[in-house]
Amino acid sequence: MLLSTCHSGTTGVIKKIHGDDKIKRFLFSLGCAEGDQLALISVLGGNYIVGIKDSRYALDKSLAGKIELIAPQRHGRLG
Amino acid sequence: MNQPLRIALTGNPNSGKTTLFNKLTGSNEQVGNWAGVTVEPIFARMRKRYTAKDVDVFDLPGTYSISPYSPEEALARQAILGQSYDVIINIADGANLSRSLFFATQLLEIGRPIVIALNKADILKQRGDEVDLAFLSRELGVPIVPIQASKAIGLDDLIRSAKAQAGTSRAITEPLHDEERRRMIDELIDRSMIRSHDPLKQTLSDRLDRFFIHPIIGLISFFLIMWAVYAFAIEGLGGRLSDWINERLFGEMAPLFVEILMNRYGLSPVLGSFLNQAVIGGVGAVLGFIPIIMLLFFLLSLLEDSGYMSRVAVLMDKYFKRIGLSGKSIIPMIVGSGCAVPGVMATRTIENVDQRRITAMLTPFVPCSAKLPVIALISVAFFPRSSWVGPSTYVLAIVIIVLGGLLLKKIFRNTDESHFIVELPEYRLPSFSQALGRMWDQAKAFVYKASTIIFVMSVLIWILQAFDFSGLTDDPSTSFLAMLSGRLSFLLIPLGLAGWQLVTALLTGFIAKENVVGTLAVLLAAGSSEALGTGILADYFNPVTAYAYLLLNLFTPPCVAAIAALKKELREPRWVWRTLIFQLSVGYLMAMIVSQLGSLIVYRQLLASWWIALIILIVYVVIIVYMINRRPTHAD
Repeated sequence: MLLSTCHSGTTGVIKKIHGDDKIKRFLFSLGCAEGDQLALISVLGGNYIVGIKDSRYALDKSLAGKIELIAPQRHGRLG
Repeated sequence: MNQPLRIALTGNPNSGKTTLFNKLTGSNEQVGNWAGVTVEPIFARMRKRYTAKDVDVFDLPGTYSISPYSPEEALARQAILGQSYDVIINIADGANLSRSLFFATQLLEIGRPIVIALNKADILKQRGDEVDLAFLSRELGVPIVPIQASKAIGLDDLIRSAKAQAGTSRAITEPLHDEERRRMIDELIDRSMIRSHDPLKQTLSDRLDRFFIHPIIGLISFFLIMWAVYAFAIEGLGGRLSDWINERLFGEMAPLFVEILMNRYGLSPVLGSFLNQAVIGGVGAVLGFIPIIMLLFFLLSLLEDSGYMSRVAVLMDKYFKRIGLSGKSIIPMIVGSGCAVPGVMATRTIENVDQRRITAMLTPFVPCSAKLPVIALISVAFFPRSSWVGPSTYVLAIVIIVLGGLLLKKIFRNTDESHFIVELPEYRLPSFSQALGRMWDQAKAFVYKASTIIFVMSVLIWILQAFDFSGLTDDPSTSFLAMLSGRLSFLLIPLGLAGWQLVTALLTGFIAKENVVGTLAVLLAAGSSEALGTGILADYFNPVTAYAYLLLNLFTPPCVAAIAALKKELREPRWVWRTLIFQLSVGYLMAMIVSQLGSLIVYRQLLASWWIALIILIVYVVIIVYMINRRPTHAD
């Protein structure tokens, strides 16, 4: 399931990152690659606020559409 | 000869390198709670309280990885791989240790002496997490010193450790593959860190984000915050203090002092008029703005330190994309409202080259603090009872940025696809002492500028207008200056403006925008900017042409310092030329349209030069249509 189709409060493990090498490498350096855990904290005005490792990032929809999760789980609001 | 020891600070963006740098060296470099504040290596001598010997500290731009993603990351990489440092202090962000170690372990492989400083140790403690530093240090084979840069805790230990490492040599090791590195770090973190907080759990910052990044509430709060900053600095407290200085100090007291000198102490009238016109009129008119500038930088510094700027970038991305820019383009523009030089430099955090260039071309349209005296001069003289003039220049700046963005996007097509990703650091209470430090630095820089560039220009202008080939002259219209500037005054005809003085002021404005006020004050022989309005200016302008002249000064290319910054960021000369031509055209056309249409609407009268203006407009329309429709070339 693509991150761009998930609802806020979803957590999941990254299955695959689509897109060019440059963006893959960059995401990798943040700890966002196949097998890593990711949480979608909220979706605000087309921006995806995600938790990766210990930090928060905002992604636009096109980038969120390049991140595929395995078996995402929805918890409602996290916490 | 004893060379100073050279220490380089490296680390992830927003890990606290510049905070540490400022503490170690006593500098007031700009820090901000967003990724990418430092875009250029800077260095300074370390304070004696940390070292007996001379030590130079180099602050490098932050990077997440040794293989660069954006140009400022590439700079950090070049600096690190170059051999110019004796020891590296790599700052690991305690708030995100695993990401920090990704870069740190890459650094360990290049064979340079290195120490790791674990910054924000307090955040770890606050979260209830514990890290076994001794274990980590042993496993990685590098000293790790816990510090808290913002409070200057642990710095003595850090420097001792760095000095001890400086002479040593490390072996260059084969770089690990990215995946292996990640696995190794995950394992290290598992074995060395006891987590009691769940990093994916909602935090206070997350709740604040729902508010500040909200598509409607966030936008409203953004406009309110920016309005509050400018209103308080420019109109409120800052404006009042500035009025007082302009009216009392330079308007009354200083001229009185000169009069006393002349009457009682027999100061020569020529020297008296020099003091009145060049020194008090030229420099004084500008110095009065110091309270506004100090407050503006103080407030912007608080804003930058709070973590809010990255949220604005997220909020604006949607809108900026439509005009071919990135949400990150908003940061250079806000920074640029203080000064265009750091504003233009801040464009370096934008990865996409088209977006970066166009942002750099548009950022100088935001009225910077040096343009405020010019705005104030015109608005006090011609619109004393209305408060719309100042705000209107900001609104026009936004309109130009939107239209300019659309146009530039059409002309220089966006080639590669761009993604938007930005780190959202936790909000924090901004540091007052840091903001005060920055404010103080700006004040000093401003006084320095006023007493050097602006003073020299005012004196030069005074001399050039007081002399002609036969010597001292009473009639400035025969002076050297009138001769030189007179040649260019035909350029102002389509704008409905006349007078070599206006040309001179415009030209000196390219050296520093405050010069416009100083030059007009000198040339129109007035004591201060306030006195300028009482009649002398009215000989040259009516309100419509005065406003047009204001726009001409605001929206043509910025000062030389900003142009130099543009040149550095754009790199290729043809982009610099394109930028200058674009900015010249925008400023000129705006002034022309306002002047021509304004005269027609307000005074129901066509200016004599209406047909020239019409021809110029048609030529521009033809050129623009041609440029939009031409086949895209590969070079662009």
